[in-house]
Amino acid sequence: MTLLLLLLLQGPHGRLEGRVPAAAMPGLDSLIAQAVAESLPTEPLVQKALEGGAKGIPVARLVNGVRHGLVQLRDARAIVSRATPARASLDGDVAAVAAALARGLDPGLIERLLGASPAPPPGDPPGPVLHAAADLIAHGFPADSAAELLQTAQQQGLHGTRLLDVAVAASHELQREGGRTPTEALVRVRAMLPNVPVSTPPHPRTVTRRAGRGS
Amino acid sequence: MTVIDPRVQEALDGERDPTTLPPELREDYARLIGAAALLRAAPATSVADRVMSQIRREVPAPRRSNWLLRPVTFRLRPVWTLAVAAAVAAVIFLPFRERATPGAEEGVAQFVGHFPGARSVEVVGSFNDWQRGALALRDEDHDGIWHGAVVLPAGQHEYMFVVDGERWVADPLAGRYVDDGFGAGQQNALLIVRP
Repeated sequence: MTLLLLLLLQGPHGRLEGRVPAAAMPGLDSLIAQAVAESLPTEPLVQKALEGGAKGIPVARLVNGVRHGLVQLRDARAIVSRATPARASLDGDVAAVAAALARGLDPGLIERLLGASPAPPPGDPPGPVLHAAADLIAHGFPADSAAELLQTAQQQGLHGTRLLDVAVAASHELQREGGRTPTEALVRVRAMLPNVPVSTPPHPRTVTRRAGRGS
Repeated sequence: MTVIDPRVQEALDGERDPTTLPPELREDYARLIGAAALLRAAPATSVADRVMSQIRREVPAPRRSNWLLRPVTFRLRPVWTLAVAAAVAAVIFLPFRERATPGAEEGVAQFVGHFPGARSVEVVGSFNDWQRGALALRDEDHDGIWHGAVVLPAGQHEYMFVVDGERWVADPLAGRYVDDGFGAGQQNALLIVRP
């Protein structure tokens, strides 16, 4: 709780000071100020700057990396606005789409997935469906087929992280003994919907620590 | 014990006129009469009753404003100071040391890496503000397999392993990767924590 309070009291400048080279601070301050002026989320930019500082990235490349992040956030907001014009862009949605762009997902495909999805439950972020699509594509499934499979899953009531299970099931089908083609695997998974197996998370008994920002 | 002369006793009992007593007995009679007067003047209550009445006497209630404004002095022995400090430290650090159970919006992330010969392996990522030293992996049996688990907020997290404090390595078992955007083609591992 104290940590959260400190984070709230500390602005981006305070969080970056001492964590990134001093020479990078003016450039970073300027980029973050632009994000604030454009009502874009600043947390992804702060994270990128902290990452660069931790990795010892040279100043010019560090600032460029954060600038690239700002461009992705702008693109992401444009995609969200086009895909869901009736809905105000939430910071979380914009950040999730920016992350999907960073994963290499095609902007058109993102727009299609966001726009075609049925009304999600309140607070359901777009991240999982985008990651599920990116996972399917990374496993060699054609982008169009991946999008269709996920849309079918959504229509059958799957949402949120359950969509990740669809991608996991498809990759398992690919790896089955004897091998299946991506098309065969997709047909199999489509037939399973909406009852794709749930991926089991690690057992909590093995957890010995709880992480927190700046802990 | 002094025996009272029977004639004095008769005078005390009113059976004899005290003026008829011999002079030496008249003096005794006068002392005894004085002592009797003193006893009559003393309160009838016992010492215990008087003490208890003092204890039970109602203490006037302090005014609330006075109570709030009155400085309070705590006297604490150094040993108690240490005990209090230890208790505070336990409350602060226990969540990090003890087994943790994820909350409704949290999930468990497990990290495993094969780094034979490594002296240390830690996980650094967006979940800890890319802060070094926050999450060290362990290799108790020295077989080169480093592991650890942590409770994280549900959602997407980027991370890397830092081996021996200097070598940044993307988790080979992550399955999901994202370009770190700094132009050198380095990738972060991507973790999606499910609640």
